[in-house]
Amino acid sequence: MATTADSPLRPTPISPFRRWLISGRWSKTVVFLILAFFSFAMFYPFIWLLFSSFKTGADIVSLPVTLLPKKWTLSAYLMVMDPTRANLPIAYVNSIIVTSGTVISVLITSSMGGFIFARLEFPGRDYLFYFVLSTTMVPFLTLLIPLYIVMRELNLLNSLWGVWVPSIFSSFGVFLCRQFVYGIPRELYDAAKIDGSGDFGIYRNIILPLTKPILSALAIFVFLGSFNAYLWPLVILNEEKKLTLPLIIARMANRFGGTDYQAVMAGSVLVSIPPLIVFFIFQKNFVRGIALTGLKG
Amino acid sequence: MTTLQDSPASSGQSLAQLPVARRDSVWRRFRRASPFALIYSAAILIFYTIIFIIPFGTGIWLAFQNWDFITNPKFVGLRNFTKAFTDQYFWLALQKTVLFSVVEISLGLTIALLFALALSQIIGKWQNIYLSLYYLPVITPLVVSLYLWRWLYRPTGGAFNTLLGSLGLPEQPFLASPQQALWAITVVIIWAHLGTGIVLFLAGINDVPESLFEAARLDGAGFWQSFYKITLPLIRPVLVYQMVVSVIGTVQMFEAFFLIPGPGFSTRTLALYTYELGFRALNLGYGAAVSLIIFVILLGATVFQLRRWQIEWEH
Repeated sequence: MATTADSPLRPTPISPFRRWLISGRWSKTVVFLILAFFSFAMFYPFIWLLFSSFKTGADIVSLPVTLLPKKWTLSAYLMVMDPTRANLPIAYVNSIIVTSGTVISVLITSSMGGFIFARLEFPGRDYLFYFVLSTTMVPFLTLLIPLYIVMRELNLLNSLWGVWVPSIFSSFGVFLCRQFVYGIPRELYDAAKIDGSGDFGIYRNIILPLTKPILSALAIFVFLGSFNAYLWPLVILNEEKKLTLPLIIARMANRFGGTDYQAVMAGSVLVSIPPLIVFFIFQKNFVRGIALTGLKG
Repeated sequence: MTTLQDSPASSGQSLAQLPVARRDSVWRRFRRASPFALIYSAAILIFYTIIFIIPFGTGIWLAFQNWDFITNPKFVGLRNFTKAFTDQYFWLALQKTVLFSVVEISLGLTIALLFALALSQIIGKWQNIYLSLYYLPVITPLVVSLYLWRWLYRPTGGAFNTLLGSLGLPEQPFLASPQQALWAITVVIIWAHLGTGIVLFLAGINDVPESLFEAARLDGAGFWQSFYKITLPLIRPVLVYQMVVSVIGTVQMFEAFFLIPGPGFSTRTLALYTYELGFRALNLGYGAAVSLIIFVILLGATVFQLRRWQIEWEH
């Protein structure tokens, strides 16, 4: 009470730094910085991927190793695009054929199945649905050898058809769409029925437009799964001209792995571009898709 | 239209006629069903017959045969299964599979949960930016990630050893060493799959009503206390789902052990063993038997997890 500065009515001025410290907001900042550090750590391998793909063959094996290329060059990209050295362009076409075929067929069969199993009546419907669902209980690895034998009998070995056929239907997709169709009011279906629409017409004109949100989410999962698939294409395909992108990367790693690893890196960059584009275009759908798919339990 | 006319008639039947009515009602229901539904059902049935029933049946049949694609299959009874139990390579592969699966899942899910928890403290634009960054490895084709990491793992001149060297630590052989290879691969897979767990857990955490945390704060609960008492129990369904899916995924992991294997049998898991038996050694019968054992193990693990967690749920 002796001096005015010590008066309880006039608090000593606090520096902005101390106010920030007391307020507890610093914990958020720390969390933010820790996350920033880890996201850099997560991203770190990709930085090497990108920079290494612009190196020369001599540069990539020289010691001590440097992150940045000593001389920037596109020679690795030209190397993998050269049809006499790597079949990357053909593999691109193959991958696009298989992946788009899979995505389109799964979207059609899943939305149809979702509608049929949720709304249409016929004997044995639920048994059929539970049977379709139960097929997911058997791991793919268990079916690998016998499915290969079946494909051999069907003469589908070494053809893109053989890669595509086992993924025409997706039990996960059917299940997802059925759940979603249950959320569409039954009255819509009944009203269209009374108006004299056939079931296919109702599917085409009412159900298909309404299931778009779930279909776009499903499309991303199916796209990534099909585009990145390795084991089944490996078993089915062996002719160089028929390989899909992940397989061609593995072949390139064997061919160039010793002295021209920059070519593997350049090929990897090119292979990673389509999934990245799809992800960033559909990112919103994707996050919403996770909520819709009920993956949250 | 037929539906409307038929139903009053059939409900008006006397009791004595019911069995007759019921018998042809299956046929009537078939005839009343739309061709659209019936054609689709026939298609999906044919599909799963070719893609599932026949292969699964063939697999079971094959497990009791000896076949190499060339000579005629020979029935050997249970010998393929008894062979598995005395085959040291089978046990070694099982051991590698379990080690990989347990470490990948426990570490991966814990880290993902911590990340999701930290991310839930950050709201708005940055949450999405971080989420996208963490999700990048999930989107990148696994084959790309594997060859990238193999390059970074190189014993001389690899990025990680350069980093260790600049920190004054001894260089490590990573994939070149039988002791480290499995763990080196585990790290790659944790890195590659982390995003999935983070996205799911974050969605779960964001779903917890803010009012619960508010109430806990008023009652004087700290951050970790409200995590244990509120967040964890509420996102348990997500955790269980992710755990079940991860077990199925890690046991079947193939590419990593196929493309960037460690020396000898140090990283040969059951998935790779099955592939090698079927497509390299052409021992199809034994391969089918091993893959059936994998099926039984996975089924057991799934049922066990679901039951265990369900029981704890009720308490």
